[in-house]
Amino acid sequence: MTYGLCNLIGRGRVAGLGLLAAAALAVTPAAAADYPERDITMIIPFGAGGGSDTLARTIAGVIEEMKLIPVKILPENRTGGSGAIGYSAVAKEKGNPHYLATVSVSFFTTPLLGGSPVSYKDFTPLAAIAQSPYIMVVPSSSEYQKLDDLKKTPRFTTGTTGVVSDAALLAKMTSNALGIQIDSVPFDGEGEVMAALLGGHVNVGFLNPSEAMTQMTAGKLRPLAITSAERSPAFPDIPTFKELGYGDIVHTQLRGLVMPADVPQEVVTYWEGVLEKVATSEQWKKQYIDRFYDVPDYVDAEGFKDVLERTNARYETMMKDLGLIQ
Amino acid sequence: METLALLWDGILAATDPGIFACTILGAVVGLLIGALPGLGPTAGVAIMLPVAAGFGGVAAIACLGGVYYGSMFGGAITSILLGIPGDAPSVMTVLDGYPMAQKGEAGRALGTSVFASFVGGLLGIAGLVALSVPVSGYALAFGPTEMTAMMCFALSLLSVLGGRNVFKGFVALALGFWLGMVGLDPISALPRYTAGSMNLFDGLDFSIVAVGLFGLAAIFMSLEVNVDKPVAKYTFASLLPRISDAVRTRWQLLQGSVLGFFVGVLPGVGASAATMLSYALAKRISATPEKYGTGIVEGVAAPEAANNSASYGAMIPLFTLGIPGSATTAVMMGGLIMIGLQPGPMLFTENPEFVWSVFGSFALGNLALVFLTLLLTPLLAAALFIPTAYLYPIVIAIVVYGVFAIDNSAFNVMLTIVAGGAGIILARLDYPAVPLILGLVLGPLLERNIRRTLIQSQGDLLVFIERPIALGLFIATLLVLLIPLFLKLMGRKMIAADEAEV
Repeated sequence: MTYGLCNLIGRGRVAGLGLLAAAALAVTPAAAADYPERDITMIIPFGAGGGSDTLARTIAGVIEEMKLIPVKILPENRTGGSGAIGYSAVAKEKGNPHYLATVSVSFFTTPLLGGSPVSYKDFTPLAAIAQSPYIMVVPSSSEYQKLDDLKKTPRFTTGTTGVVSDAALLAKMTSNALGIQIDSVPFDGEGEVMAALLGGHVNVGFLNPSEAMTQMTAGKLRPLAITSAERSPAFPDIPTFKELGYGDIVHTQLRGLVMPADVPQEVVTYWEGVLEKVATSEQWKKQYIDRFYDVPDYVDAEGFKDVLERTNARYETMMKDLGLIQ
Repeated sequence: METLALLWDGILAATDPGIFACTILGAVVGLLIGALPGLGPTAGVAIMLPVAAGFGGVAAIACLGGVYYGSMFGGAITSILLGIPGDAPSVMTVLDGYPMAQKGEAGRALGTSVFASFVGGLLGIAGLVALSVPVSGYALAFGPTEMTAMMCFALSLLSVLGGRNVFKGFVALALGFWLGMVGLDPISALPRYTAGSMNLFDGLDFSIVAVGLFGLAAIFMSLEVNVDKPVAKYTFASLLPRISDAVRTRWQLLQGSVLGFFVGVLPGVGASAATMLSYALAKRISATPEKYGTGIVEGVAAPEAANNSASYGAMIPLFTLGIPGSATTAVMMGGLIMIGLQPGPMLFTENPEFVWSVFGSFALGNLALVFLTLLLTPLLAAALFIPTAYLYPIVIAIVVYGVFAIDNSAFNVMLTIVAGGAGIILARLDYPAVPLILGLVLGPLLERNIRRTLIQSQGDLLVFIERPIALGLFIATLLVLLIPLFLKLMGRKMIAADEAEV
């Protein structure tokens, strides 16, 4: 009986593939008109409950709620290898417009360290729908009231999650700009970094907006500057590095989506349309922006591609400076 | 007094049928996930997160909390019955729980684990409600330097777990340290001992190795003896828990709960290390340390009390400071954000009713789990009536499923089997498996904190003795190591008898 059932399913699938192939052959130029023809798999290269997972599932949820596409998005956690396993699974589907992934720091760093067979070049950028700046903070008990006060002291330490992270990158950029030395101490998670900062074991922090907000409201941390190009609507009182005279320090994490390489241009345009609607929606604002204090911002495929290249170059330079890669 | 009144209000609020139902749901799911080898509290809370978030408010966090402490109850079940740790914090329970089951005392061992989980939970909750604020300050005082000293102190206590042959114990410990280095270097991010496989980048998952090393190895080795008979002979009475055991182990319960709580509070340390310390301390101050490991209730009580109270300790930084100190509390924090609350110092002042209702649900859930597990104990223990020829294939299937389910990774299943093979080799050569596991858990903590300290101090070693907490812990370490030597020179017994023994 089991055999019969398998056989039946098998045949059905073959027949379906046949039809699909025929359809594809018949209408190749207009294929995008029928897109998407089946459910979209959204690979999350990290575990359930983490930052990447929340981001991916919220985007999928908003698209579903607003009925922006005629098919479902199926989120799937494929963890391991510091993101390499999940991202490889997406890249392997070259040309297949039914696979999606969000970008993260590991999207760049793991391949640069030689830890992944695929790099950002193996993906098609679609669009970004928000950006997350970083806020430089010191404990409230510290003597430093504003950014330039740091120049009085030659050396600081900061906590980062892993040696190659945005916090470590920003520590390097700030060190160079202010002529001081900020050494990065790698910890195992954002929680440990926060504990080290509040406990006085490191002196400065480069935090996500939501982490910083919590502790600033409680009066435990004092903000010095924010890394976005303009002031963030959620933090109107925090000056940007740029306006304080350090124009080089602009670095945010773009919340964006990618597909495997070589998907048709029509598909990219299709997703640009979908994601633009997400970015400007009330649901996205309520379910993500307001919760994580990100900056709402829509960046199209072309712009997103530039950011990916620039981010990758920044990490590469930093790793070379640290002697991690040649 | 005011705290008690607040807690009482919280308990009353948590008796709301909807909230209570969610608490029980979480507790039962936690119990099952904890009992499933491989899957532990982190996976459990993550699995329930989307479901629980839908409940909203107090019910959501009551449910997630239920999964967390429920899994601490559940982890002991397979550890005792089959010698397979249900999750990482119940590895130490195998040491005495499994021998008890083999002697036909599975019911007593399970009963003791329930009492211990309850007492640990109760004292943990008491600590959570009464001491959150001062204790969170204590947690923050532990930076990399203090953690290094703490790990040295832990290792000095744990040296008692090395087995009969000191040399072989140290070899196993070194092996564990080495295995703990597999993966991306936590400080410089370069791969170490990964043989180029990206499956090894995230290191060796401690629970996966433990399941293979203890569980599968025990099953494989038992194939040499009769497979058509049950594991052990039972009488009906042996399936029942004994209340007298709770009284007998009162000191181990108290000591395990207090130790577990304070170790659990420390960010990044976790319940597994707490159980190891608790077991080692119980053995060290016992008048009859040689009995530990042969199947005594004290050896079950100490780690089981510690892992439950550690789970409440770990929630303190989350609720009072908004800092998730462990992977499990990080997922719980995700839950708080998903229901629209900002975890952090303001949570207590802005949403006191929420916090106290959640704490109330912990108290109720803890109590409910005692009844649930005590009722289940005879039923679970009866599983051992099944001849091993039938039982073990089922167990192996469950183990494979549980390990696979952690990351949906076939590689992890292979790893468990390899660890099982390694377990057989170790046992054949008479190398103890426990030091290897200790090395795997504590090695990475020790290495990371030494290296963090040295980055901070720019290579200056003096920091280790300049900071008072670190200095105190190093002195304590020296005392633990030197006192037995001193006593030996004085011609006395190796390990001092302590009034703590019952």
